[in-house]
Amino acid sequence: MRKSAAVLGAAIVGAGTLTACGAEGGKQINVYYAPEDNFQTVVDRCNEQADGEYRIVYNKLPRDADGQREQMVRRLAAGDETMDVLGLDVTWVPEFAEAGWIEEWTGANKEAAERDVLPGPLETARWDGKLYAAPKNTNVRLLWYDDRITPEPPRTWDEMMRMSRELKQQGEPYQILFTGAQYEGLVVTFNSIVESAGGRILSEDGQSVVMDDGAVRALEILKEVTTSGLTDPSLTNQQEDQVRQAMQSGRGAFELNWPFVYASWAAEQPDSLQHFKWAPYPGVGSPDSGRSTIGGYNLAVSSASRQKPEAFEAALCLRSAENQKFSALNDGVPPTVESVYTDETPLDPSKPADPEDNPSMATEYPMKDTILAELKDAAVRPLTPAYQNLSTVMSKILSPPSEIDPQRTADELRNQLTDALDSKGVIP
Amino acid sequence: MAVTTGRKARWALIDVVVVVYALFPVLWIASLSFKTKETLADGNFIPREWTLQNYADIFATNEFIRPLINSLGIATIATLIAVVLGMMAAYAIARLDFPGKKALIGVSLLIAMFPQISLVTPLFNIESALGLFDTWPGLILPYITFALPLAIYTLSAFFREIPWELEKAAKMDGATPGQAFWRVIAPLAAPGVFTTAILVFIFCWNDFVFAISLTSTEASRTVPAALSFFTGTSQFEDPTGTISAAAVVITVPIVLFVLFFQRRIVAGLTSGAVKG
Amino acid sequence: MSQTVTEAPATTEPRGGKAALSEGKKAERRLGLLLCAPAAIVMLAVTGYPIAYSIWLSLQRYDLRFPAERQFVGLDNYVAVLSNSYWWTAFGTTMFLTVVSVAIELVLGMALALIMHRTLVGRGLVRTVTLVPYGIVTVVAAFSWFYAWTPETGYLANALAGDGAPLTEQWPSLWIIILAEVWKTTPFMALLLMAGLALVPDDLLKAASMDGANAWQRFTKVMVPVMKPAILVALLFRTLDAFRIFDNIFVLTKGANDTSSVSMQTYNNLIKGLNLGIGSTMSVLIFITVALIAFVFIKVFGTAAPGSDQGGKR
Repeated sequence: MRKSAAVLGAAIVGAGTLTACGAEGGKQINVYYAPEDNFQTVVDRCNEQADGEYRIVYNKLPRDADGQREQMVRRLAAGDETMDVLGLDVTWVPEFAEAGWIEEWTGANKEAAERDVLPGPLETARWDGKLYAAPKNTNVRLLWYDDRITPEPPRTWDEMMRMSRELKQQGEPYQILFTGAQYEGLVVTFNSIVESAGGRILSEDGQSVVMDDGAVRALEILKEVTTSGLTDPSLTNQQEDQVRQAMQSGRGAFELNWPFVYASWAAEQPDSLQHFKWAPYPGVGSPDSGRSTIGGYNLAVSSASRQKPEAFEAALCLRSAENQKFSALNDGVPPTVESVYTDETPLDPSKPADPEDNPSMATEYPMKDTILAELKDAAVRPLTPAYQNLSTVMSKILSPPSEIDPQRTADELRNQLTDALDSKGVIP
Repeated sequence: MAVTTGRKARWALIDVVVVVYALFPVLWIASLSFKTKETLADGNFIPREWTLQNYADIFATNEFIRPLINSLGIATIATLIAVVLGMMAAYAIARLDFPGKKALIGVSLLIAMFPQISLVTPLFNIESALGLFDTWPGLILPYITFALPLAIYTLSAFFREIPWELEKAAKMDGATPGQAFWRVIAPLAAPGVFTTAILVFIFCWNDFVFAISLTSTEASRTVPAALSFFTGTSQFEDPTGTISAAAVVITVPIVLFVLFFQRRIVAGLTSGAVKG
Repeated sequence: MSQTVTEAPATTEPRGGKAALSEGKKAERRLGLLLCAPAAIVMLAVTGYPIAYSIWLSLQRYDLRFPAERQFVGLDNYVAVLSNSYWWTAFGTTMFLTVVSVAIELVLGMALALIMHRTLVGRGLVRTVTLVPYGIVTVVAAFSWFYAWTPETGYLANALAGDGAPLTEQWPSLWIIILAEVWKTTPFMALLLMAGLALVPDDLLKAASMDGANAWQRFTKVMVPVMKPAILVALLFRTLDAFRIFDNIFVLTKGANDTSSVSMQTYNNLIKGLNLGIGSTMSVLIFITVALIAFVFIKVFGTAAPGSDQGGKR
């Protein structure tokens, strides 16, 4: 079903680019957004709704986030007027806003963009007290486990490491799997532990480096988990998909990853799906302190766009509650609008919900309550225009995690992050 | 007779070693492209379950076919132009005395040496100002530029070794220098030219940095760039299967290209020295 | 032995020796300029401005995200980069990768060239097949190696690395990067060398053979001297290229565990970090290093720089 939708989408793209050349007189709104299999269908729905007032054209960006950012930045810096709506990763809003590349959302648009949006995702769309983007989708890492190995999931990192050690002694799958390669994913892991420990990396306003006791505690945990033989040998080369595969191949007892792993497990190992369970992100110290770092995308309007009113309208449509639900069910991207989680109507409201060909939030997201709970108290990555520098420096200094020396590494981070914030010095 | 058979057997053995060396990683990608999603990560060199799904997927949409056409067109045109311009310049460098020769060589070396990644942003700015961004010429021009130093260098090395007394003879028969170049020397230079053409074509075919920065739609996106637009079933899954299938498909033209020119090269080379 | 009688008139005539240019000489000059003009114009038009712009940027403090703070800082960026340990680590890594991979490529490339040139059976097959690695898109080939060396997924990791994950440690990673580089570019080397091999006169080899020279002697005493220009050109091009290694590292390790190259660093600062000043400074430094390498090749080893009269014949 998914496949045919994709083919249909592509066919429409093909047809779309043809008609776009014929001057219809209507305005063309160019959307630049990451590849998402069924996003074209969302675009088509919005075009129908616009009823000829404007036509949205979906321009795909590359798959990897760096590639997306590079393309947009290059064109924005050159004052490209042909970009209207931009799909921004949650960490880019301060950077784009500070550089004057994206428009502030005000008035009715702002109201519509903020309505019923969960606090975590909304925070990522703000900078300097103003709203610069409309949250399109979010994401949150959960703790995944196999209930045949551990009937009760651990609730803290200490507990998880203790259980893992016991499993190792018993000869069971024991590994604790998370993204440990030198890239953004390692920063996400680190940030989650810091926030769970009640620590901070940057000050509230993003102007200075804090690296408090909580951050040092997080370094200690990273060090401990990677030096006690509980992680995968490939840890420092693992990104999200390698982590998923390691868990599916039966090496891991615990996996910290985004919910896409559930759909993959369902597709590839349906027989054991009933044992693939989820739990909230583990805490540090107290059981309920776990806070997971959020991901996802926000839609912004380019400052160079010559048709901003239409661009705002188009962006609002592309991330409307209804379309967020469509994307959540077809492309596995969790919504930012709270009410979608409790929406029980399946994709085709005329027929009853069916996991095979008429999914609903309940069939596709059995873990939706856990996701929602995590989102209500989520960790946000440091908000600063220099985030990219910060991330590169952090992932370099934290690699490999087994060589962290908590106090010394904290000092190093404090020094180098301060330089990175001022865009001084060399990025590794 | 026995001696020849023995030598043949020895050469055959060496050939096998070479073929295995060259093809092993390629077979591995091919194997990945035939694996099903479930067995992709099983580590077997030979697929346990075979499927053509990955190929069906990439040919089901324009996302791969258009870039394939772009790649073929852009690389072919750029190669033709670069080789013709390179031949002219290399001939002059190898044969003629004129002012500015050293400067030309210096400039072409300079270009060959500059890190391409740092040219991307200014090139983008120029191309978008001229309306060349996301067009075929927008890629062909930089490809010619960066292939030219290589073309000039290798061609002039070839040209210097050509028996030029033939040219002299032609000139004595009344041919102009231009005619001497095209009628007498160019055919002699063919092996060098085809070798250069292969190098240039492969350079254009392979480029990723320019392809990803100077294109934005299927109007001009080439295959290496298009690979990074493939999607897995979700944002975080790598489309390993389809990328492998695409890799196999785009290797085919290279093999055909080499096979086609291979005869010309051999013909050129065997006229000289190779008799065993 | 036609080689000795083929001295071109242009190179045998003493330069500037005649007071006035003859008609023929003038025509030659005109033709020379005319033939070079298109190539020169294209190259200058496309790269002149970008290169000059990069050099200009390297003298400024300029971060795209803080355009207001743009100012001229002279050589400050050079001081910042050259006093930074990341830069020197990457520089050392790049040097190591360049020297080792080019050395291996030369040996293997020579072997391949000889095989391609002399094999009695399946010559077409061997020549075609050898070029396949070179023709494969670098990113895709790197991706193949990446999977081959990933535990569980890859046959090489499972067969050779035991429990370890080779791409997570510095030295195994560096050797895998070298392996990928060597596999990919040896055919290029072989192709350029084969062009040189074709120039070795057959009768010279026969004569040497009759004089009692064995295969190794024939190789070192007859073939290598004749091939020297081709060898040096091949080495020069590969070295210049290897020093700017990017794709393979980008896919295999992303520069983790101190496997970053200078081009990776430039990418991180210039394209990802948007720091045009520092990034351009790195580009210029790479450029200078590479120019030095080329200089050494041409002046010290006497690599045939085309046009440096009879350079290739020595």
